[in-house]
Amino acid sequence: MAASTTAGGPRPPLWRDVRVLRVVGQIAFAILTVAFLWWIWGNLTDNLQSRNLPTGFDYLSQPGGFIVQYSDVTSSTPIWKVILTGVKNTLLVSAVGIVLATVIGVLIGIGRLSNNWLVRKGSALYVEAVRNIPVLVWIIFFFSALLLPVLPVVEESVTGDLFVANNRAISVAGPTTPSGGAGTLWLLGLVAVLAGIAVAWWRTRRNVRTGQPHHRVIWGLLTAIVVFAIGFVVAGVDVGLDRPAREGFAVTGGFALSTPYLGVLIGLVVYTASHIAEIVRGSILAVPKGQQEAAQALALSGFQRMRYVILPQALRIMVPPTANQYLNLTKNSSLAIAVGYADVMQVVKTVIGNGRPAPQNIAIAMAVYLAFSLTISFFTNLYNRRIQYVGRS
Amino acid sequence: MRTRKWIKLSAIVLAIGLLASACSSDDGPDEDETATEGGTDTGQEGEASGDTLQTVTDRGTLVCGVNGAVPGFSFADEEGNITGFDADYCRAVAAAVLGDPDAVEFRQLTAEQRFTALQGGEIDVLIRNTTWTATRDGSEGATFATTTFYDGQGLMVKADSGVSELADLQGATVCVLSGTTTELNLTTLSEAEGLNLTPQTFEDNETLQSAFEQGQCQAWTSDKSQLAAVKSNFPEEQGGPDGLVILEDTISKEPLGPVTRDGDSQWSQIVDWVVIATIQAEEFGINQGNVEGFSSDSPDVQRFLGQSEGEAFDPGLGFPSTTWTTDVISAVGNYGEIYNRHVGPDTPLGLERGLNNLWTEGGLLYAPPYR
Repeated sequence: MAASTTAGGPRPPLWRDVRVLRVVGQIAFAILTVAFLWWIWGNLTDNLQSRNLPTGFDYLSQPGGFIVQYSDVTSSTPIWKVILTGVKNTLLVSAVGIVLATVIGVLIGIGRLSNNWLVRKGSALYVEAVRNIPVLVWIIFFFSALLLPVLPVVEESVTGDLFVANNRAISVAGPTTPSGGAGTLWLLGLVAVLAGIAVAWWRTRRNVRTGQPHHRVIWGLLTAIVVFAIGFVVAGVDVGLDRPAREGFAVTGGFALSTPYLGVLIGLVVYTASHIAEIVRGSILAVPKGQQEAAQALALSGFQRMRYVILPQALRIMVPPTANQYLNLTKNSSLAIAVGYADVMQVVKTVIGNGRPAPQNIAIAMAVYLAFSLTISFFTNLYNRRIQYVGRS
Repeated sequence: MRTRKWIKLSAIVLAIGLLASACSSDDGPDEDETATEGGTDTGQEGEASGDTLQTVTDRGTLVCGVNGAVPGFSFADEEGNITGFDADYCRAVAAAVLGDPDAVEFRQLTAEQRFTALQGGEIDVLIRNTTWTATRDGSEGATFATTTFYDGQGLMVKADSGVSELADLQGATVCVLSGTTTELNLTTLSEAEGLNLTPQTFEDNETLQSAFEQGQCQAWTSDKSQLAAVKSNFPEEQGGPDGLVILEDTISKEPLGPVTRDGDSQWSQIVDWVVIATIQAEEFGINQGNVEGFSSDSPDVQRFLGQSEGEAFDPGLGFPSTTWTTDVISAVGNYGEIYNRHVGPDTPLGLERGLNNLWTEGGLLYAPPYR
């Protein structure tokens, strides 16, 4: 079988044998990579030691000494917990941002193909105006030029029954459990959601088997609500309403959406939505025209054509590039530092500024973003595989 | 096919070469490390070592590290000249060792760069509103000279906010630069006094100022001298300097002064005594106007001006001339003159002398005897 590649001739000497060279080349490359990593690691630790700087992660258990706003971090909170708060904040802005950017992006993308002149031109204007300006500029614009001047200062807060709004934060009332039991409620919520998903899955299976309409969304939602309601009554957790109130300069209670958070969120959503809109438009246009015409011939309404014929096919084209936008949004959230939102990057930089070792801290930040990105990739890849055409290989 | 193989072969050779060089350069830092352990000086290479005075004299100019962005302390004017309180101390050192106050090369440095620049010998002396702390003295390879400016952290509010003391700020939001000692001091204050302050941190002063102007935070905290500098430049449409009030309370000690490299005690002494001379001159009533031909019967004053019983007096500090004090005072004036020229009550900063007054006037400035 070796002879088949060399066409029956004698085997070349070792140093000219492609198969040997290939193996040697790969081994050399592997050694080189390992040696390079080992060298830069050694270099780093040597230089840190020669400057009497710590090389380990022991500092993580020491107190951070600073406060992170809108969190329970105090000066005695260990650094690892402070960084975790930053991770939570990054998650909060990325997760909400991804959902909102998708919804707005899809609407604008469909809008660009609308028959209505105003909607079509308006969507085009949005896309062209927004995507051609860097996201950092948008974030600073929404924070410094929109939220801060438009919202009143804290002394003149707009106060309603369920909210207090000023340019520090918009605080809204939220449910609270005065006598404990929040954990029980979260668990109950999880069980209810799982039950809803299970019922929706069962309805889908039934639909496949019998051909009867599944109505899985309604069934799933109702199940979740019923399960939660029953569990709530059984558990007997005391739930009250936590209303925000202003006392002097401070607003207490409720759930605070700080202006830096809103600035980052709106900036990321508006910017990413413009990119998603273009992906949606391109994907819809990529669906063969015959599909649209066939749907029309079946007398489907405009909505039905979109919902049942065009979008499911466009979705297959849409998912990989949109996943890329999700990754971009998550990574761009590190620009939060520009407007003082305490995301993981801002927290890590503060920790460095207080004399903690930079290499370790930056490594932590890199690991966090890597973990976020790989998680998003994993789920979008999973989804992508699910919706691909089945039966071809 | 042939060329491909050659590419592959040369790639392998290259890889092995790199590997070898990687291994050999791995030894590099180790050698450096032993050298560092052997020597007392952190910046051991070349001109950084030992005799800074000789280096400065040979070069003919003094390289002085400053901030360059703080009005009143060191700030570039329209012509690009650096002026201010810190800049004048650079000139004073140049006048003392080179006889020429203009033989200064200013190096503008950020907070992160400053100690590296000093350790590496890029600058001869660092006069950049740098707070003297134990860690900096101990771990940054730095020696601090006599404090030129006793500063403290303060809080600034808008005049119409109705806040007149710390207690009025209960529950307020305070704007502060992130990753600074100022932020840590603020946290300590808030927790110690139960003020429940929320810090709103920013990376740079521009965003911070915009947030403060728009009332996102009720107070701005920093060193009082820096707050005064911001106040003096506050835009008129926001109420101008009069629209702001710096609270009386001082929440930390920030002694600012010149810094030299560890391991060159002669040079450190020289910088130290230049500062002392400006203070001593004010105490003696010697100023820029009367220093030339200043005559006094007091032997203390005569010694200070380089004369003792008709002969030259040299305490052996290492200054090239016995009349260096005259050179310094005629170049920049005494402490009071430097202060009043750049940051005093008649300047836009309008800072009262306070702690920065002579000990005889209730301040902290106290010069050791020159004898």
